[in-house]
Amino acid sequence: MFHQLISKLNTKYNFELARAHCDIPCGIYDPISAQIAAVTVVRMIDLMTDLDSKAGEKGTDYHNSLSRYIAVKEEHAEKAKAEIRVIWGDYIKAPHLEKYPELHGLVHQIMQLGSKSRQTTDRQTTLDFVEAINKFTEIFWATKNIATKRVKSPYNPPLELVYPVV
Amino acid sequence: MIQILKVTGESLSPSFREGDYVLVVKTPFLLRSFRRGDLVVFNQPPYGVMIKRIDFLSPDGDNIFVIGSHPESTDSRQFGPIPRSNIIGKVIWNIKSKTE
Repeated sequence: MFHQLISKLNTKYNFELARAHCDIPCGIYDPISAQIAAVTVVRMIDLMTDLDSKAGEKGTDYHNSLSRYIAVKEEHAEKAKAEIRVIWGDYIKAPHLEKYPELHGLVHQIMQLGSKSRQTTDRQTTLDFVEAINKFTEIFWATKNIATKRVKSPYNPPLELVYPVV
Repeated sequence: MIQILKVTGESLSPSFREGDYVLVVKTPFLLRSFRRGDLVVFNQPPYGVMIKRIDFLSPDGDNIFVIGSHPESTDSRQFGPIPRSNIIGKVIWNIKSKTE
């Protein structure tokens, strides 16, 4: 009743706003984009290895496919890094760091692995990239008191990914 | 010395939701003492007028650390403690948009 009355008054007097401000409208942070991007990097390495192992002339089609795989690898390694940086920079706050002091080191490790995934074709580096983001994901959901599970992705490469149990 | 303000944002949810109104008292003698848990409205550039809950006060009482209840709240954990002089008033009544 009071709210209806005040709302009517608001149409006339347009009361000042008190901002209960959140960082984004509202709370849509999820490491899944980084996880998918990191798995994509592994997939591109696999496609490059597969392409290179095929017999025959390495002509225009070969170079076209290889260029595309490299471009996607570059793009997704950078995307994974960017997604993690946003969560780390905008969502993670002092109480999270007190509880999970390894977070800064882990994010730095993700940045390094992402860069190395761009620079090389070392599959193990890209697997380490996925796993480091998995660890970050476990901590991220733990800060929200949401349990996680590890499940193999239902696509190639079938890598273990961390998902929230919701 | 009373003012009505409309709440926007969800940093104090579920206690205060988008669309609620709050009645704020601005009487100077009531603003002399603050306690942990008090809800206050204050000026915080560049965000403008904000509403948060007091978490703690500096020993001399001149700086106040304010927080929201939502994990993504933008508050003193980000912009630091606010000077007491920035406080506009204390919330004495929440006029909820939805009854629970």
